[in-house]
Amino acid sequence: MSKQGGKGGAAGKAKKPAKPGADEKREDVLQAVILADSFQDRFRPFTLETPRCLLPLVNVPVIEYTLEFLASNGVQEVFIYCGAHSEDIEHYIHESSRWSPGSAISPFTSLEFIRVSDAHSIGDFLRDLDKRSIISGDFVLVHGDLVSNIQLDAALAKHRARREANRDACMTVVLRSVGEEPHRAAKARGITPVFVVDPTTGRCLQYDETHPLQSEHYVHLDPAVFSHGSFEVRTDLVDCGIDICTPDVLALWSESFDYELPRKNFLHGVLKDWELNGKMLYAEILDDGYAARASNLQMYDCISQDVLERWTLPFAPDSNLLHGQTYRRVKDGSYVEDSVVAERGAKVLQSAVGRGTTIKAGSAISGSIVGRRCRIGKNVRIENSYIWDDTVIGDGTTVVHSVLGGSVVVGANCRVPEGSLISYNVHIDSDVQLPSKPPARISALTDDKHPVKPDVALVGKGGKGAMYEVVHDEDESDDEDGDNRDPAILQSSLIYSLEGFNLSTSSISTLASDDGYDSDDDVSMAGSLQAGEFGQARERLSSFTSDDASKPDNGFHTDAVNGLVDALRADDSDDFDSAKLEFMGLRLANNASDSAMRRAIAVAFVRRAAELLTPAQGALEPSKAAGETFTAKKGAVKFVREVGVGGDEVAQQAEFALAMQKALLGVRDLEAARAGALLAALLQQLYSLDVLEEDGILAWWADKRAAEGESMNALKEKCRVLVEWLENADEEGSSEEEDDEDEDEDSD
Amino acid sequence: MAPSQASHVPTLDSLIKAFNNQLLEASIESLIFLLKRRQVKGDECAKATAHILRQVVAKSKWHDVDQLLSRVQSAGSRVARAAPQEPVIGNVVRRVLGLIRDEASEDRNADDYGSEAASDIQSLAPSAPLPQRPPPVPVRPSPSVIAGGGLQVSKSMFNLLSVADTDSPMTGASTPLSQAQPASVHALRSEVMDGIEEILDEINQADDQIAGFSEIQIHPGDYVLAYQPSRTVERFLVKAASKRRFTVIIAGLESPTHGATEAPYAALRKKLNGAGVKTINLASNGLMAYIPRVNKVIFSAKAVYQNGGLLVDSGCCIAAQAAHEYLKPVIVLSPVYKFCPEDPSDEVSRGELGNPSGYVSYANGPAVDALDIENTVTDYIPPELIDVYLTNLGPQTRHHLASILADHYKTEDIGFNLHLGES
Repeated sequence: MSKQGGKGGAAGKAKKPAKPGADEKREDVLQAVILADSFQDRFRPFTLETPRCLLPLVNVPVIEYTLEFLASNGVQEVFIYCGAHSEDIEHYIHESSRWSPGSAISPFTSLEFIRVSDAHSIGDFLRDLDKRSIISGDFVLVHGDLVSNIQLDAALAKHRARREANRDACMTVVLRSVGEEPHRAAKARGITPVFVVDPTTGRCLQYDETHPLQSEHYVHLDPAVFSHGSFEVRTDLVDCGIDICTPDVLALWSESFDYELPRKNFLHGVLKDWELNGKMLYAEILDDGYAARASNLQMYDCISQDVLERWTLPFAPDSNLLHGQTYRRVKDGSYVEDSVVAERGAKVLQSAVGRGTTIKAGSAISGSIVGRRCRIGKNVRIENSYIWDDTVIGDGTTVVHSVLGGSVVVGANCRVPEGSLISYNVHIDSDVQLPSKPPARISALTDDKHPVKPDVALVGKGGKGAMYEVVHDEDESDDEDGDNRDPAILQSSLIYSLEGFNLSTSSISTLASDDGYDSDDDVSMAGSLQAGEFGQARERLSSFTSDDASKPDNGFHTDAVNGLVDALRADDSDDFDSAKLEFMGLRLANNASDSAMRRAIAVAFVRRAAELLTPAQGALEPSKAAGETFTAKKGAVKFVREVGVGGDEVAQQAEFALAMQKALLGVRDLEAARAGALLAALLQQLYSLDVLEEDGILAWWADKRAAEGESMNALKEKCRVLVEWLENADEEGSSEEEDDEDEDEDSD
Repeated sequence: MAPSQASHVPTLDSLIKAFNNQLLEASIESLIFLLKRRQVKGDECAKATAHILRQVVAKSKWHDVDQLLSRVQSAGSRVARAAPQEPVIGNVVRRVLGLIRDEASEDRNADDYGSEAASDIQSLAPSAPLPQRPPPVPVRPSPSVIAGGGLQVSKSMFNLLSVADTDSPMTGASTPLSQAQPASVHALRSEVMDGIEEILDEINQADDQIAGFSEIQIHPGDYVLAYQPSRTVERFLVKAASKRRFTVIIAGLESPTHGATEAPYAALRKKLNGAGVKTINLASNGLMAYIPRVNKVIFSAKAVYQNGGLLVDSGCCIAAQAAHEYLKPVIVLSPVYKFCPEDPSDEVSRGELGNPSGYVSYANGPAVDALDIENTVTDYIPPELIDVYLTNLGPQTRHHLASILADHYKTEDIGFNLHLGES
């Protein structure tokens, strides 16, 4: 870890007060923390060479917007946390005449870089910040890719008032509403944040995220939400990542060492556990002003257009934010810097063109941003594209909705179709047609920053660069997890598209009335809806957790089953307690329903028993296998009785038996006859271990669901002997039950 | 509660307060970015420019008049470039430059009148840049003498006289002045700073001075249409209300902003009603219907160009045109410091673009995607539509604008905007 202080006088001016007594005075100093690394790679391959916050947005590095936003809000002390490319960012700031910490003209009294060598997430940054104790009062936490013209005064004042009234009101999240109708800013984000907010106080009650790749388009409302008089569930908000925090927030981060993301982990977690931590978080929802984060290429696209259309005023090209810029507004809604040569017959519509660029006759540029010193040939067509500095485009080439990084050379008569991403220094030979589906993503560097071997088929003979493969962490081969794909995949391309994804078809419906809560469905939401009074909320709670056993939460199920089977298999330990603990933990973490648990346990034990039947495991007889399964580990029986069955009631026992029956169907490589035998053995074993009672098994026998379908029926038939024996035993009296184990084997 | 920490947002006042603890460069940059971020705009610009130039004179290092002029020029052009939409900045810079030249020549004249006067005459710039300038009429009593701008007016009259005879091709930078004595630097500094103080006073008092003419302009029983009344217009009307009984029609209401609890212009209406003047709020589309009933139309300008054209807030042009059609007098309130010795540029006539959210909410997704919204926030009004320019020196017509410009700006400085391209 290294900490770099500002050089020169500016840093000296902002001496940190050593004593709390000085706090009083420092209350007036507004501090801000910029997170200049997001630990994402959504801008790959561009971010291989340049950090995200230095990528040009309308020809101005993104971080300039962020710093200017802070300056316009009167922030005086800034701390910048850098991760990847930290040298580049520091170099940029130090070279900048305006922001350099030593510079007399910097609007900040101090600007410090903080490097954290072992940080792997934003959470690590904030925990580090907590340790440093350089934050003395309220501070503004932003990301290094924020573009906003919001004046925070009102939000800050409200935040202070709340904090004065209640020490636990520790954070205000600033959000911008973008309406319910489809909006480019909303469409671009892939992940939809869902805020549950108390409209009267602005208190944030719950936070969740949804994305189109989920298997369920549902958000489970926390029961605690209903203890508030009224609440709004809002999905129409753009979360621009502006947080007004007290130092308590940092302490919260420190307490939860595993939180990584400020929203998905931190906000969600803190709100969920508010009964534990007692902290209250508020949302400030703005209806005017502009705020957005260039957090992925689609947002980059969206914000660029907004800047051109002046939604972000005063951040428009002709404000000449960056030192030395000389943009002027010219006809046709374009912005042109000095010494731009557009030959006669060249058309520039609603675009921005940087200094020293030449555009030859017959070319048309529309809705695009062209950087400095670019050379654009004759009859070139550029639409809605982003062309960074020093790029050369040959005659007759067409570029549509693409990003061309710096110093790219595109030959004559090429076609760059929609969604192409061409990184720094790539050369594309003349007469090359880049593929459109999927769009090309070309880089001159590999992930480890070595030059790539030119892919001649892609970039032509004289070209430089090769396809850049985006590595996703997801494991496509695992079918069971297919539904929980990482939504980041939606954000890694320039064009938002759901094409090629198998989307779950569970419908999103709007809640029409309170009656909706009584249905077996989860609460679903689209847009913002106002829930009414919930006097009887408690009674209705059960309907909020999905009880549909046919579609349990996959994540929980696989984890739980694997954990249990492993524990049953383990040779070295006889103890089942740790497995039980783990299982309960999983259950709490996933908020799994009873039926999901029952199913998981049944599957785990059945799988183990079936395993014991295989030759590799000794090819035990079904009855031996059943006995081995339940009795080999201490505590397993108790676990099944208490957790698996979950009670003494007949219905629950029948459910468990049914779950085992279903689980047996799912076991591969097991003939039907042996499966039936195993089921009978398992039931008999459980009966003798007092887990299942006679009534339970008989109830299962009578249950219609147990006979659904041919294979189920076949399994069930195998148990007829057992059941008949049980019925007889009932007549004879229950005292002999335990002695009759052997007889059961004959029934195989 | 922490009532003391009202606001962190930087403003002009907080900037001026910080001048003493700041390096000059920091102050200039802060102002530039306040202008770029539109946190200082409109009428504040003139004041801000005067303040910052005062700092330049006081703090920058200079040993003779030439250096001072170039310091002021470079600082001035940087500030002016930061806000090309505010021509007033350039005016104030020109005023200060003229002031320095005057003080310098006064010094020299005191030292050695004969020889210096000769070189002064040679050095002064030709009249070429301003062909439409009237031939200097020697004995025209300038209105500014009455209004208390006397000090520099007398000087400028002298120069005007001198210029008439010269045809020297030399421009702006005025080489001979460099001979000014270093010993007099101190004196010059304080004199220039006093001069800037006077300009600041003029800026601050302009509204009141204009209001002083209100009873001449407004007659009892008048129906006065005030289009988007600015602070200048408000003062004017309130002052008139103390003497006259008339009716004010307030037009050009902006669409109510979010969370606005008061009716638009409520404070103004309260004041006027208190003085017994009736007020009517008029939605924009009702304007035409009321024009026949109106006696005169009043609004204030952001700038007046030398051809008499106006830079105004958008919407005024409609009111002016309507009044013109019905032969109603259009009175423009504009202090002298808003008079620009230049012609309107192409960009001025196209108008400045504002934030489209004035017309379409950003939350309205389909509209944001589908529409190109141009929200022009300024209008250009051609000179034919204006009848009276009411300045702090009294009412003027278009034909007298040139002499006002000649009184206030030096020919050397009229080309000031030409320096803007340099860096």
